This record gives sequence, structure tokens and C-alpha cells, in this order.
Amino acid sequence: MPNSLAYTLVITGAPWTTQAPQTALLFARAAVSAGHKIDRVFLYGDGVHLASSLNAPPSDETHWSQQWADFLTQHGIPATACIASALRRGLVNETEQARYELPANNLRAPFEIAGLGEWVEGSKAGDRTIYFHGGS
Amino acid sequence: MNPHPTLHILNKTPEHPRYELCMQALLPSDTLVLIENGVLSIAGAQLNAPCKLYGLKADIAARALDTLYDSSNTVDFEGLVQLTQKHEKVISW
Amino acid sequence: MTTLIVIDQAPYGSWSGREALDMAFSLAAFDQPAAMLFTGPGVNWLRKGQQPDELGQKSAEKNLSAAPLFGIEALIADERACQQYGLSSETMLSGVELSSNIQELLNGHTHVVFAS
Repeated sequence: MPNSLAYTLVITGAPWTTQAPQTALLFARAAVSAGHKIDRVFLYGDGVHLASSLNAPPSDETHWSQQWADFLTQHGIPATACIASALRRGLVNETEQARYELPANNLRAPFEIAGLGEWVEGSKAGDRTIYFHGGS
Repeated sequence: MNPHPTLHILNKTPEHPRYELCMQALLPSDTLVLIENGVLSIAGAQLNAPCKLYGLKADIAARALDTLYDSSNTVDFEGLVQLTQKHEKVISW
Repeated sequence: MTTLIVIDQAPYGSWSGREALDMAFSLAAFDQPAAMLFTGPGVNWLRKGQQPDELGQKSAEKNLSAAPLFGIEALIADERACQQYGLSSETMLSGVELSSNIQELLNGHTHVVFAS
């Protein structure tokens, strides 16, 4: 068993609706501490809401989007919101804003928007792909 | 003997249809980790996992279920990462 | 690497099945072997004669019928769930395999993935 593995994390549960982004963040921190590499974080379905720059929870609550953004930046981990999921749910970057002539854009840095190909690539190339879904 | 034991990560309560599907899928050589609301299944339902079973400490503590879990049956996030390292195949239910 | 994409939610009332289908199509588009398992209420994706025009949704049946063209290797239905929802070979899309052994099915794939 190699000591260091390459992980892709897929988050499909939305923040403030499910625990998925929180569980994923605690898992990601533990994985990095253990010396593993996180190749990519992929947001799918309702999970794309994590990448909104407009989330503004009360100041005494944990800001999951901010925490994730800080973690990704600190460790230089690329994170992608699925473009099809994102556009349907009103999450756009400047490029998509221009393309669809929308009044605003709201993608939080360092998140990016791309297709499911990134997920396929990550699952193919990495050692583990771990999914974080909404619960019940 | 199953050549590739699976790590099952379950975050659903027994009322969720996927819970039952997960139970059907478990093999004796597999490992089941209960996380999030999944840790509640030990409080109410008769959980008869045919394989190794762990609950995630943080979720157990948050829901005041410490007395229902043996410390040998709990993992922290570090332990969860180790389990995903040990198992080539991981299913998140 | 073979991936089994699992749909366990009924069409129309929930969006997640469509996003599961997109995952399967994506794998196939990148030449990765993919199969789909329909279980629980998800077997209702397989019912013949769906007419969602009035709902303003695309037909799940029509979306799904493109699966073999896109290169998805198999559509598999959980036999028990089919019985539960009264689905028989006459009321179901053609070309769907039935499975009564979920354990075997899950073991036969490198990855088992839900979309939500």
C-alpha cells in the first residue's frame, strides 16, 4: 500500500442544506495532514452552491464556502463546479455571464467552471474518488 | 473470498431507501462506516451489519451517542482517511 | 475501470436521475466503460409510454433510449424493485437486463456512483 495517494473529492450536497461540504472539508484536511494529495475537488448537482460568492451566513456561523475557498487556496488544490449543474442553478463566471448575457456573475475564487470531463479525468487518473452526498 | 473488499460510507438513516440497498450490498470482508445521520441507525433500528462497522467520532459526539459506540468501533477523520487508503473500492451511499 | 451509475430516484419529481444520466453519458463520451443500475423508485425511468409534454420536461424514456447509441454498455434493473412497481417486460423499455443479485452487480464494477 503506497503511503501517499491521489484523491478526487466529489461534493453533490449543498451547503446549508446538507452536511456534505462540511464532512468533505474535514476529510480533505485530514487527507492533506496524512500526506495525501488532493488532485481536484469537483462540485456536482446541488453541490455547486458551495462555489457561490454571494453566500452570506450570519457572522456567528461557519462560512463553509469561505472555509473551502481558503483551504483550496492554501494548498493549491483546483476545484471545479460542473458547468451544466452550475448554469441551471444560477452560478456563473464572467465568461458564462458574457455568453448568456446575464446581469451578474457569482463564482467564488478559486473555484472554476468546467465540464464533467474533469470528473472523468480525475476518476481515471487518481487513486481514489470519494463522493460526499446529501444525507437524510 | 472477495478479492476487493469494499469500504461502504453510509450517511443515511434507516428510513432512507438507500440504507436498505447498502445493507443488501455488504459482504463479510467489507467495512461499513456510518457518518453524518448514518450514525443514528445504531440508536433506533437493529443494525446487523455482517461486516466490520465503525461510526465517525465527530458525528457520534454531536448527536450524543457516545454511550452506544465502543471506542473500538469509532474512527476520527484521520481514521476514515486511513480506511479509504486501505480500500481500493469505496462506495458512498 | 468500469463504472456503475445508480439511479434510485423516480423521474420528473426529482432532478438527480438526469444528472446521473449525464454522468453515464460523459463516461461513455470519454471512452470509459459505464453501465447503469435502476433500483427503488428509479426503475420508473424504464416504463414505456412516458408523456411529460404537459409538465414541460424532456422525456426520461427518450433520454434513456439514447444510452446504447452513446456507448453505455448496459441498462440494468433491480428485479425486486420492478416487481414492487409492477413493471414487467411488456411495460418496460426493451434491452434492459434484470438483476436479482445486487452484491454480485456491485462487485462486478470498479466504481459505484450515485449522482446525489
